[in-house]
Amino acid sequence: MAREMRLSARKALAIMLLVALVVASMSLAGCKKDEGTTVSDDETAGKTETIKIGVETALTGPLPDYGYAAQVGCELAVEDFSGFTIGDTTYEIELVVLDDKAEPTEAAIVAQTMVDEGVVGVIGGLTTGATLAAMPIYAENRIPQISGSVTGPKANETDFDTFYRTCWNDGVQGEALSVWAQELGAKKVVLMDDNGAYAVGLADVTENSLKAAGVETLRQNCQSGDKDLSAQVANIKEFGADVVIFTGYHPEAGLLRKQMVEAGMSDVQFMGGDGIKSAEFVAEAGGNANAEGCYATFGGFPEAQQPGYTAFAAKYLEKTGDEVGPYAQNNYDALGALVAAIKKAGSTDTEKIIEALQTLEYEGVTGTFTFASATSGAVTRGDIVVTGLTPANVPRYVVKDGAWIAVE
Amino acid sequence: MGLSRMLQTLRSITERVPRRVWAVAGFSLAAIFPLFNVLGFMPTAWLRVGVVSLVFVMLSLGLNVVMGEAGLLNLGYIAFFAVGAYTTALLSSPKFGLRWPFWALLVLSALLAMVAGLLIGLPTLRLRGDYLAIVTLAFGEIVRLTITNLQPLTNGPNGVTGIYPPRLLSQGAIDSLQASGWSEALLKWLVIDKPIEYYYLVFVFVVITAFLISNLKNSRVGRAWNALREDELAAVSSGITAARAKLLSVVLSAGVAGLAGSVYAYYSNVISPESFLFMQSVIVVCMVVLGGMGSIPGVIIGAIVLQALPQVIRESAGAMRSEFEVYRMLIFGLLIVAMVIFRPEGLLPDKLWRQEVHEVDPRELEKTRQSLFDVEEGHQDLEA
Repeated sequence: MAREMRLSARKALAIMLLVALVVASMSLAGCKKDEGTTVSDDETAGKTETIKIGVETALTGPLPDYGYAAQVGCELAVEDFSGFTIGDTTYEIELVVLDDKAEPTEAAIVAQTMVDEGVVGVIGGLTTGATLAAMPIYAENRIPQISGSVTGPKANETDFDTFYRTCWNDGVQGEALSVWAQELGAKKVVLMDDNGAYAVGLADVTENSLKAAGVETLRQNCQSGDKDLSAQVANIKEFGADVVIFTGYHPEAGLLRKQMVEAGMSDVQFMGGDGIKSAEFVAEAGGNANAEGCYATFGGFPEAQQPGYTAFAAKYLEKTGDEVGPYAQNNYDALGALVAAIKKAGSTDTEKIIEALQTLEYEGVTGTFTFASATSGAVTRGDIVVTGLTPANVPRYVVKDGAWIAVE
Repeated sequence: MGLSRMLQTLRSITERVPRRVWAVAGFSLAAIFPLFNVLGFMPTAWLRVGVVSLVFVMLSLGLNVVMGEAGLLNLGYIAFFAVGAYTTALLSSPKFGLRWPFWALLVLSALLAMVAGLLIGLPTLRLRGDYLAIVTLAFGEIVRLTITNLQPLTNGPNGVTGIYPPRLLSQGAIDSLQASGWSEALLKWLVIDKPIEYYYLVFVFVVITAFLISNLKNSRVGRAWNALREDELAAVSSGITAARAKLLSVVLSAGVAGLAGSVYAYYSNVISPESFLFMQSVIVVCMVVLGGMGSIPGVIIGAIVLQALPQVIRESAGAMRSEFEVYRMLIFGLLIVAMVIFRPEGLLPDKLWRQEVHEVDPRELEKTRQSLFDVEEGHQDLEA
């Protein structure tokens, strides 16, 4: 009897302790949470409001260099665009930078945290897998999301009207490759990818576009890091291709070109996307002679042709002491476009911002652009549409005397 | 000195509370956890952390069967999780235009994962220790690479998107209930699409899994696993069929992972190979080891701590959060290292494991050993 009494007292004590612990930790976590915007009266005529903009990036995980560059791009944009006015209200931007580790599970938690924080918009995510997991949560909570680095053609397959991107959709480059191959008189085209998301997406779009134009195609693939592609080369030879399009990166592209030349196929045209447009490609293909006449397209304007790039690079250098990191200027434009949409909407209501984004024309570092309002061909809803840049006139390059030069 | 005495006292107090009381307290706490969100004390992100934690509790409970109980190191456990997740994703998404019933897919996902467990278990269970670890590691990678490259079926790296939310009853049944005057607010709970609904769904599965596995642990099969883990030769000579007992543990744990995978696919709405990296297998192993191998409350706590800790670290940075974010995983790693140094036996260890790690009176160790393998007495002793 006494024993039972003691136990129940302890039981009560234990439960009380546990509950106290949880309540304490919850309130610790909860006290930080506050309303999205804070209003304060200024001494001068207008009011000052602080709005929160989320940056979903990957500071840890497989691509921290990309994640850091995206964060710096956004911070530079805040330095330039914070303190804009609508009516007599001045808006200050506060960034909420969260790390999704490039991991889908964490991305969903990050997206929910952004929603809880009451952000008016999110820049990100960084990688395709993580972005796919976060998109439904932003869409459900009606928060506009602009990614500066997700290039996968199928990123917005679900057709969310909250998703926008300021980087080039790989699919558009695929159509460009298809157009160019046909200009070269291609009848039989081999498409080869390295089984990675980027290469497969690009090859899919190119293949569909070529097939639609009545060109006969054969699909091959390899693994990134392969050291021998003779099986694929034999298949290409047997197929009798007149154009080979490799959609992956330069190490395998160079090897493929080298082994094709060794197999006596130096007269077969060789093309690729921006993954092969690297100085190393020439050496990997076995020298100037092998690489001569290989073609490459580029995703969007190359940096030298981007109107605001020089100024941006100077700012980036000043802030970090480094050269511009990957997609930094695209993230800068993403935040710039979001601010422009807020100004256009004349409100921080997210529904109105989404509406404004659909018709926004924005003059950014990478060019003047709008967002596609509907999916058509390789372009999906929310994709960047750069003025003066269509699949037929994306920048083209050819190897001449061991260097990539622009095709006029 | 003072601290260690305090801990000693605390332990002697907590140990006198029966484990059943702890279990009831823990589960009731987990059951009321979402209410903090409903009442507005807690951001919704914590609910998502809760759902994911519970999914990983299921995974840890499953892995604990092979690793903690049967002593077989499995470094490719996440593959079974992937099989379950992809089974559900493909049969309940616009990918093939199918929407199989929720309950059927739960069972099918678990069954297919069990078949995968059988396939990997049959040829490899003769291997021991490091060799088994290497083979399972390879199996995990094979499954992930197959998913990545089998593009016509799985969409490869682009993942399967738009997985339909689970309906607890068929649409027809829901419609007829509505026709017969059931309120819409009530019927909304039959379609699981909010974090809080997912939380309770997974919670129910966790309770069932924990109950079944803890019964199994104390059953004849459980004793056989423990005997095999401690000394295979002695166990076999006492009449245990090693191959069958081991295979059972592998298949069973695969089934639990398949079930968890199915629920996870529904919850996350999107499945891509990036969720099934080798690192995820390692994390589940860490949950089991840090929680306390072979101890059911231990692995539950281990899974919750490891899954929730990154968010706890994030939120504890308060206003400095954005600047702090870059150090978050570093601190997470340091905390894990600290845990391993200070509690090598795990957070809530199995009695036997703890005594193997720390120095104890040999007589006490012997007593525990005897009680463990003596079915008559052992049960009570472990409870106390």
